[in-house]
Amino acid sequence: MERKLIISKNIYSLTTLKKAAYRYINIFSINFLEEDEAYTCILTFSEKCTDLKADYYSDDFKKEILDQDLREIIKAETEPTRNLILAHAFSKTGLVENG
Amino acid sequence: MGKFQTIDFYKPSKQTYQLLPFRFSRLNKNSIILTNLVGEYHITDNDTLNKFVNHDMSEEDDVYKDLRSKHFLVDDKSQIGKNLLSIKYRTKLARLSEFTSLHIFVISLRCEHSCPYCQVSRQSDDKVKFDMSKSVASKSIDLALKSPSKNIKIEFQGGEPLLNFSILKYIVEEAKARNTNKNLAFVIATNLAVITSEILDYCLLHDIHISTSLDGPKELHNKNRPRPGKNSYEKTIEGIKLSREKLGFDKVSALMTTTGASLKQVKSIVDEYLDLGFDGIFLRPLSPYGFAIKTKKFSEYTPQNWFDFYTEGLDYIIELNRQGIKFKEFYTSMILSKIFTFNDPGYVDLMSPSGVGIAAVLYNYDGNVFASDESRMLAEMGDNTFKLGNVIDNEYEEIFLSDALLDPLEESFAYSAPMCNDCAFENYCGADPVYHHAMKGDFLGRKPDSDFCFRNMSVFKYIFKKMESDSFVKDLFMKWAQ
Repeated sequence: MERKLIISKNIYSLTTLKKAAYRYINIFSINFLEEDEAYTCILTFSEKCTDLKADYYSDDFKKEILDQDLREIIKAETEPTRNLILAHAFSKTGLVENG
Repeated sequence: MGKFQTIDFYKPSKQTYQLLPFRFSRLNKNSIILTNLVGEYHITDNDTLNKFVNHDMSEEDDVYKDLRSKHFLVDDKSQIGKNLLSIKYRTKLARLSEFTSLHIFVISLRCEHSCPYCQVSRQSDDKVKFDMSKSVASKSIDLALKSPSKNIKIEFQGGEPLLNFSILKYIVEEAKARNTNKNLAFVIATNLAVITSEILDYCLLHDIHISTSLDGPKELHNKNRPRPGKNSYEKTIEGIKLSREKLGFDKVSALMTTTGASLKQVKSIVDEYLDLGFDGIFLRPLSPYGFAIKTKKFSEYTPQNWFDFYTEGLDYIIELNRQGIKFKEFYTSMILSKIFTFNDPGYVDLMSPSGVGIAAVLYNYDGNVFASDESRMLAEMGDNTFKLGNVIDNEYEEIFLSDALLDPLEESFAYSAPMCNDCAFENYCGADPVYHHAMKGDFLGRKPDSDFCFRNMSVFKYIFKKMESDSFVKDLFMKWAQ
């Protein structure tokens, strides 16, 4: 059983899609096909999966893409600060002498 | 132009704050938990989270000051937040330089019990070759005292360690004699079946604690823990009473193991502990090692079954406290310590980097050194992946810098693991390379189909759900965290 989702490349990154898909690794497998404007995601469910469940998980996957996108935004803004805080935290431990 | 600026001039600009690193996870459809770099948390909804991330929030919003005080944002008034976070982060990880505090000495594999869920390959009690020798004990003591940790706890395990009491005495006395600057503590993990007044006199003299197994009411306990005479329960209760009389009430603790037969009687199990005057219980699931696999005890119930058992037990314990009866669930308490304090309880399963080798190490009866208790259980099944060396053949540095320890520590580190690295609960969780190796064949495992991840995520969400919906529970849980 398959479900196909078309996701705009202008809105979501491939990293975001991959991270979202990883969370469903025990539910469906996924193929990403790259086209000019979009990624086509083909979700393959096991034969035991019902239509109802496949629809549910496809919808849930779309919501997870939104969450992952938000995580990417947070990460992009906070990464330099996080690195600064971690460097400062370890600066007196001797662990970064050869870093 | 007026003499004074308008009121808008003095209002904070919407763009004046900067996000600090944080992660979020969903508790339910519209409830989201945010945790910062050191695990301080804030619970909010979809709209507020989006508003916050999109910089559409201002100081006038009720939640703004809360997010600022918990280090989710910095603005012109709170630049020190970054410094505070780095100090907190360093404090949180300070324990890593003080490894290893728990040293498990397996002084005999012999046991007169034949528990089908036992995670150790027990040997019948006439096989003296399964006892630790003096030379192995002596080398093991030297290794234990070399650990950087100021506090060294030596735990005697088996089999039944009291069946090799002479070597236990040797280890206690030699460790004390050779110790120069450590705080030494001793505990015997025993089924109490062979305890005597003389043994307890020795324990009193050397301040040795007792940790025993108690699975619940008589029928359940005796079913789980068969021995000749079918009287394990009677022996345990008798032993607890005698130990308390001799050593003092607080020197005796007990641990239960959940079997399929336990699932429908969590209240009776808790009542048993209460009746015996214990101040808490650890509703502990079975581990996938040793006899628990061979006898199929491990597959008697699913992670969901255990979680239902746990929540029923926790709810019952909360109600007992509401009635004025002080009693704790210890797994919950350890997680709460990680949520509300910077003190790590040092529980191997809830540490990242993993606690194997860092929090605990095990010296087997034959001199082999393992990264944890579970590691030697795995070895009893023929898998020596976590064997770090041998006390006779290897020096301290060879053992603690071995690839057998460093590889699983590095590969399982949750902060850089897929899915864990953006999980809001990562600060409270652990990396369990032994469990994942046993179940999935690699140190990390894939979290979406990891029972370890399912169990801990379910427990974390339940703890927050209880705290958010009931102020009594929040107050109670904050006390448990201390």
